[in-house]
Amino acid sequence: MSARTTLKAALLLGLAAIMATPATAQGNQLSAYKQRVTLLEDQLAVENLTATFGYYFDKGLWDQAAELFTARGSLEYGQRGVYITPARIRQAMLLFGPQGLAKGSLNNHMMLQPIVVVAPDGRTATGRWQGMVMLAAPNENGKWGVGIYENQYVKEGGVWKFAKLHFYVTAMTDYDLGFAKYAIQMEGPSALFPPDQPPSEVYRSFPNAYLPAYSYRHPVTGEVLKDLPMEGDDILGRPDRGMDSSKKEVSSAAKGMTR
Amino acid sequence: MIKRTHIIAALIGASSLAGLTPAIAQTSAEKLAALEARITRLEDMNAIEKLQRSYGYFVDKGQWTPLSELFTQDATLEIGGKGIFLGKARVLEYMQKAFGPDGTKKGALVNHMQFQPIPDISADGKTGWVRARAWVMSNGGWGLPLYENEYRKENGVWKISRLTGPFTMYSSWEGWGKWAMNNTWPDKFDPPPDLPPSVIYLTYPAYYIVPFHYPNPVTGKVFKPDMGEVGAYHRPPGTKEQQDSLKVGRWVDGSQPIGEPPRN
Repeated sequence: MSARTTLKAALLLGLAAIMATPATAQGNQLSAYKQRVTLLEDQLAVENLTATFGYYFDKGLWDQAAELFTARGSLEYGQRGVYITPARIRQAMLLFGPQGLAKGSLNNHMMLQPIVVVAPDGRTATGRWQGMVMLAAPNENGKWGVGIYENQYVKEGGVWKFAKLHFYVTAMTDYDLGFAKYAIQMEGPSALFPPDQPPSEVYRSFPNAYLPAYSYRHPVTGEVLKDLPMEGDDILGRPDRGMDSSKKEVSSAAKGMTR
Repeated sequence: MIKRTHIIAALIGASSLAGLTPAIAQTSAEKLAALEARITRLEDMNAIEKLQRSYGYFVDKGQWTPLSELFTQDATLEIGGKGIFLGKARVLEYMQKAFGPDGTKKGALVNHMQFQPIPDISADGKTGWVRARAWVMSNGGWGLPLYENEYRKENGVWKISRLTGPFTMYSSWEGWGKWAMNNTWPDKFDPPPDLPPSVIYLTYPAYYIVPFHYPNPVTGKVFKPDMGEVGAYHRPPGTKEQQDSLKVGRWVDGSQPIGEPPRN
């Protein structure tokens, strides 16, 4: 190798080194941005999936709703127990009425206030949702209800699906009487289409208090929110958890809410 | 002559080449920076929406300690007409003293469902705002607070720096067709505030429009509700009651007391 060739090669190598550094850095930047955009897109896809379930469920579109689950996906509604696989989920939903709902029925289950957290690897996600419920059936008075969804999602072949949909009914009442005077209790497991598993968490709805564990971490402190204070249930034998029992006074604000 | 022209041409060529190379590099770096700014803005808007929603989920279940940890140290809180509470510690006191200690409690349904957020982020990415609403479904009745809140990014984490929640309507289970609370007031609420309400107004059937933090998204025009007519609409404009109500809660010079947090 002549001195001249060596010089040329050295120059080229040097140049390549200079060129490579910013190009690689920019490439890294781009792939980091791509991942951040993908996480935002995944969150939106999960939000749309859940909202779609809500729109199907409202109108008794059980066949369509069952298709939103993975092959081992599960549905759990209140204290009805756990139904696993789309075929059984479809059966469970028939307990709410026929496909397409019966005349005079209102089955609105609004899916609102999402906090969806996509795992950094982009394969799974969790979501807490506010479930507002408005029900009607022929020859019955209307009902108000509310509850919390804590769901799990999986991305399969680029498509987000429900791995687990769990609706914790919080409170249900008669439209005219309201929560000040009346509370409707949850239904238990069906004898007609028994669930695959009993309820995963046994609790009673309003006037009893139950706290479905938050799936996400505290947005500021990053703390896990699984064991926050909750009043116990004497019938179920569940003790108070983390409650400060020394202060039992009725609040001025609570007093102000009623005339 | 010819030689000179060539040299000049060569110089121009060289300088333009020299200028070109970093210019291209800079442009692509700039493009990347602009792209990152757009992604960060989307993430920030997403973060403050979730922050506001998690505030609601803590209210629903009476989890006042983690709720207060959503706020900055110097945050202010003003809900309904109860006045302004200064600092994170007073946010916690407000909740625990008025609504009892932390925890879900038998017989208490206090859902404050957080809907319809409109988030915005400042150009420097340090401040955020959300206009949103809460739909209150409780054992006491129905409620409709609005929010015009401010958020601050501290060390990469968004926190609530100002919560302003004026009420639209509060009613019992008799329904708003039969009964509605006209507002809440500092003298009827324990604990007392640090500062009086920033604005005096009446709720439904009167109404008050909390100013929008953002302009009309189509025309770009800033909409300013007439603050002089706050709480004025419980009687038709021009009537004596409406004129009298313009003086409610004002200093003698006609201005309204507005609280600022302490800066020491």
